[in-house]
Amino acid sequence: MLATPYIKCDYDKVYEPAEDSFLLLDSLEKEQQFLNERFHSHLSVVCELGPGSGIITTFMLQHGIPSKNKSIYFALDINPWALEATHATAKLNACQDKFLDTVQSDLTSSLRNKEIDVLVFNPPYVPADNVPMVPSFKDDIDEWVDLALLGGADGMVVTNKVLKNLDIILSPNGVAYILFCARNKPEEVVKGMKEKHGWKAELVEHRKAGWEVLSVYKFYR
Amino acid sequence: MKFLTTNFLKCSVKACDTSNDNFPLQYDGSKCQLVQDESIEFNPEFLLNIIERVDWNAVLSVASDLGNTALPPSKPVFPATADQLSEEDMTILRDLHTLLIQTSISEGEMKCRNCGHVYYIKNSIPNLLLPPHLA
Ligand SMILES: C[S@@+](CC[C@H](N)C(=O)[O-])C[C@H]1O[C@@H](n2cnc3c(N)ncnc32)[C@H](O)[C@@H]1O
Ligand SMILES: [Zn+2]
Ligand SMILES: [Zn+2]
Repeated sequence: MLATPYIKCDYDKVYEPAEDSFLLLDSLEKEQQFLNERFHSHLSVVCELGPGSGIITTFMLQHGIPSKNKSIYFALDINPWALEATHATAKLNACQDKFLDTVQSDLTSSLRNKEIDVLVFNPPYVPADNVPMVPSFKDDIDEWVDLALLGGADGMVVTNKVLKNLDIILSPNGVAYILFCARNKPEEVVKGMKEKHGWKAELVEHRKAGWEVLSVYKFYR
Repeated sequence: MKFLTTNFLKCSVKACDTSNDNFPLQYDGSKCQLVQDESIEFNPEFLLNIIERVDWNAVLSVASDLGNTALPPSKPVFPATADQLSEEDMTILRDLHTLLIQTSISEGEMKCRNCGHVYYIKNSIPNLLLPPHLA
């Protein structure tokens, strides 16, 4: 078992790590060898979407996932508080000596196309009437936190934007790890990605968390 | 935000994706505040991997925006592995480490050369989020 980062954040401002976060950590641990073999010979560009507290990015920094001294990390969140929290968490876990930058961004719209080798996303996956509007001011704290969970129809509105563009988001060798809950109907989504869009897709981990069933799938070519 | 990050940031406006001017962004040298951050140690192998990957023209463009015109016009070539590096190679790599990894923009602004949209960097964090009418 790889150690979990130490986290101390203000959870009024950023998403508090929960079963979904931990399932992604376990998935990345399981995938460590696959990723290392795939990326050991060149620089790899890692991008976490929606880092929140920074727990997942910090875990990857700490344990050299995908490969030690060969990766640079970008953490992109829409919530400005998450970017500060992610830097603070990395620092709290003595990771200032690794390459990390955070960017306030709507998904990957600010990053060059086809440059991301490893994409990780624990999205807002809870079904809701709508995806909340982006708040106008940094101090609208409650509204920023709402963006962490509410994922519109089937909880898939935000995730679908990523899946639909995966082809121009990932580098040719790229791999994406994305978390789903059962109400997202992941089997159907995955089937569509395979059959209509030619992706390889595999279940990495799944787990019952309270009344939710969470799963992490990986997508690659 | 570290200098190297400028090699990955483009304009967020979707329509600019079809232009060649959405990357690199144009940094306003008179408004960008640079700081040196030494927390990442020099590691020649890491630098070699980074240099293999970077878009050198974009490095030149941003360096010149920020007032550095001393870089070689084409990407320096190095031996394949770190143990074959000469003293001279090491000097160049150290300089690139200082520029790409240790130099950060703590405050500043940059704009898209296609649509002109201006983005800001505050507390070393760039904000590439678009206002609702452009998103
Ligand atoms: C379920 S939380 C996950 C937080 C953290 N990664 C974890 O696992 O604990 C979802 C995160 O996605 C961010 N987010 C929501 N919509 C986004 C968007 N359009 N672009 C970038 N980040 C977004 C939220 O602000 C939040 O930090
Ligand atoms: Zn089962
Ligand atoms: Zn633009």
